Amino acid sequence: MRVYQVPTHTRLWLVITIIACSLPQLLRGHLWQAGLVVLVMVIRSLADRQRIQLPGKAIRGLLMVGVVGITWITFGRIYGPEAGVALLVSLFSLKYLEVVRQRDAYVVIVLGYFVCATALLFERGPGMFAYVLLCMLLLTTCLIGINHSDTGARPMGHVRRAVAMSLQAVPVMLVLFVLVPRVAPLWNMKIDSGQARTGMSDSMSPGEISELSQSSELAFRVAFDGAIPEKGERYWRGLTLSHFDGRTWQQAIPRGVDKQAYLFQKGGPEPEWHKSLMAQDRGSGYRYQVIMEPTQRTWLFAMKVPVLEQGEAGLARDMRLVASRPISESVGYTVTSYPNLSSAIGLERSDRALMLSLPEDQNVGRRARGLAQQWQLDSSTDADVVKQALRHFREKPFYYTLKPPPLPVDPIDEFLFVTRRGFCEHYASSFTFMMRAAGIPARVVVGYQGGEPNELGSHLLVRQYDAHAWSEVWLEGKGWVRVDPTGAVAPERIEDGLRAALSGNGEDSNVLEGLRSFASSGLLGKLQQWTDYVDFQWQTWVLGYNSQSQMQLLRQLLGSTSPLSIALALFGAITLLLGLYMLVLLRQDRGYRQTPMEREFWRLHQRVAERQGAPLDPGLTPQQLANTIAARWPGAAKPAREWALQYQQALYNPAVLADKRRIRHLRRLRNRLYKLLG
Amino acid sequence: MRLPAPIQNYYQRWLSRRLPRSPLVILNQRRIFIFPTGYGFFYLGVASLLFVGGINYENNLVLSLSFLLASLFLVAILHTYQNLSGLGLRNGGSESGYAAESGSLGVTLFSERRDHYCIWLKWEGQAAQQISVPAGTESALWLNLALPRRGRVVAPRMKVESVFPLGLLRTWSYVSLEHYCLAWPTPQASQECPADGGDETVQVVSSGKAGNEEFRGLRSYVAGDSLRRIDWKGYARGTGLNTKLFEDPAGGRLWLNWDALEGVGTEQRLSILCYWVLVLDQQQQPYGLKLPGLTLAPDTGDNHRLRALDALAAYPEFG
Repeated sequence: MRVYQVPTHTRLWLVITIIACSLPQLLRGHLWQAGLVVLVMVIRSLADRQRIQLPGKAIRGLLMVGVVGITWITFGRIYGPEAGVALLVSLFSLKYLEVVRQRDAYVVIVLGYFVCATALLFERGPGMFAYVLLCMLLLTTCLIGINHSDTGARPMGHVRRAVAMSLQAVPVMLVLFVLVPRVAPLWNMKIDSGQARTGMSDSMSPGEISELSQSSELAFRVAFDGAIPEKGERYWRGLTLSHFDGRTWQQAIPRGVDKQAYLFQKGGPEPEWHKSLMAQDRGSGYRYQVIMEPTQRTWLFAMKVPVLEQGEAGLARDMRLVASRPISESVGYTVTSYPNLSSAIGLERSDRALMLSLPEDQNVGRRARGLAQQWQLDSSTDADVVKQALRHFREKPFYYTLKPPPLPVDPIDEFLFVTRRGFCEHYASSFTFMMRAAGIPARVVVGYQGGEPNELGSHLLVRQYDAHAWSEVWLEGKGWVRVDPTGAVAPERIEDGLRAALSGNGEDSNVLEGLRSFASSGLLGKLQQWTDYVDFQWQTWVLGYNSQSQMQLLRQLLGSTSPLSIALALFGAITLLLGLYMLVLLRQDRGYRQTPMEREFWRLHQRVAERQGAPLDPGLTPQQLANTIAARWPGAAKPAREWALQYQQALYNPAVLADKRRIRHLRRLRNRLYKLLG
Repeated sequence: MRLPAPIQNYYQRWLSRRLPRSPLVILNQRRIFIFPTGYGFFYLGVASLLFVGGINYENNLVLSLSFLLASLFLVAILHTYQNLSGLGLRNGGSESGYAAESGSLGVTLFSERRDHYCIWLKWEGQAAQQISVPAGTESALWLNLALPRRGRVVAPRMKVESVFPLGLLRTWSYVSLEHYCLAWPTPQASQECPADGGDETVQVVSSGKAGNEEFRGLRSYVAGDSLRRIDWKGYARGTGLNTKLFEDPAGGRLWLNWDALEGVGTEQRLSILCYWVLVLDQQQQPYGLKLPGLTLAPDTGDNHRLRALDALAAYPEFG
């Protein structure tokens, strides 16, 4: 048996690799994990310097038990993502204590691959991936190091080789990434990456959206295929709220309506309303891709009326997209929105009852109900009522603010007639309430409005502070029509966003300071735009590359997506790459290269041997070769002698250059000889 | 794993056809085999595990990691192959030994253009030795060879292998160099010296004295003369380098003779001759050797002894 020892020139690489691979987990994990790594490194370096003995089995076992114990204490269990990763990282560093033979080092390296993979479960940015690639480079360096058993090997040589190999591996990896078919998960394993705690909830009570508006976290990004709609048209609908209990608006579906009939899932039974929607003339639409940050909710954001082109979601009857399970990690979907389609969905009796429902308690919004009924009497059409209401908001001293006074008793009347200071949810809520009181079916819509364009990628960035609430009213002949009472109070909110709308008033300015946006100009702004651009492309092309986008891309690239053509493309591309590497790597392998002159001689030599059917002495001079030809083929004697003469002159006569012209001449003579040799 | 005998035989025949014996071998794609090591399979297992993980967590980055591992494996095929390809091997020296002991054969490894690292060389079933051959250099390696019986022991097929750089793949080749090691006969003690040509033979041997040669004169030094016979005193006086010449003592010419051992088996004859060669050499007694087909003139010294032993080993095919 050969006993491998891990060579000394690789020890430092092992240490660096272990620290580098564990670092992301150490930063997110508990302090004791970092302590453990330091402890292991100290023990090991002392042992390598012969200060102490390497800890024996008993001590290592004790450490292992200790690690499991601490994991149990910190996480309450030793399985599950968090605890499992903590254990894995600890095991990884503990294993280093017993690395003596090559096999131990192999185990450490394999554990390193897993540690790298877990880092990618929790953080998927391009930065983290680049870092993991660096770790992979280090792991490869270690692998080369432990296989290099020369004691005098230079540590830097391992890195150089690892870099060369990795550079060659990356294109192959890209080919595999693009072409290897994505299969559906074999069993469902979702990791809560602990992201996105902020976001919209499924109900709206006063103060909820204004709270959200203080966060500048990313909500989603939208990339348009073609024209970007006007600022005033960018209403990203998330939820419709139709039940009001006097304080809170909630999601509801009409009484007696089957949930399956309300929500159309692809592959399920198609309800009537969906059929008529699809049958309708669509007009022009906006096509765009949304990359959404995790929300832990099922609703998706889109402009109305969304027709899903790529992604997985159902369409609800209130014209919004619903995912089949909560969005726990970034997800992308492509949608075309047809604004004209909104008239295609009718209002059934049960719908109407729900959309007109008001709190049972007649005391809620008593004055508002009176005012609304007054408008109803004064107007001939529903559209007139809407106009009157908007005029009311515009002309009375309403004030748009993030910090409205509390409305403890009756949020509708207190707001409309006393404080008159509110945020979008107050306006949407009271407006919808009054429309219902005036007999117009109405509902509250929550979502986002606006979005900041990134000039580099021409995509929109929608942040949490773009959260918004507005109303939709049902008008005969037009269907559901969007009405935004906030726009009547603070038109700059719709046109220029929250920051512009609030920049004028003092009490909100301290909130504004905390809100991020692209710096308007200068290097910093550019840098932010670039970061955002890279992040967006990353989300779209790398994280969002799923079986659907793969099929689409392959259809463009290969023209077909049959398994055979994919297999052929995969095989062809990899063979091509490896063949290329082979050429480069074995370039020096061709051995001795003939000069053109030598080639001339040997070709003729070979041909003569072939024709006469017997091998020729390889030591012939050109003159002897010519004599052989002359003896066997008397007709070729003259050109053969001529050839020999020319050849010898080119070779030996210093006055005659063996240049291209001379060689061409020789080739012509040789070809003539070929013919004569028959 | 041992294959059934017919397949094993067929494989051996195929190997010797494919890799014929030759004094110099440059490893190329015809001769090089490559296959994953145990760790290589383990590594592929890890890559598949990450693939399944990436699919299940719907995590494209973990998926890319598994693809990167697979790509490194593919690239490693080329690099591992490259590490052996272009390596040249040729006959080095050979050190003979007694039968039933071991001799050793030298193998010279050379490389014209490329570094070859961590190459392991071994005969089938023996411990391997490691060597690295940087570009443009030659390195010699001595491999011990068991000598089972007297005679020429032809170098067995040698396995040249390497797992460098990643240890994921093993690439190997079998090299049969036209190379042999001589196994001297095992000395067998005998009372009678199988020599003729001197009456004092028995007396000389039993008395154990060195032969009393008579000084005859000097001649100028010729390369190859024994250093013990140089006239060092004369050289110190400045007369130049001269060799002392001696007359053979009367009847002191010993001829170890094959024919003197009539009626003894061939190997035993050789063993007895071998014993006497060693004894006479130790006594610095000049001796000659007569074998059927070969005659070595009487002489003394290390070279002479080795020549005599090699002749005994090579019998009956000299040359």
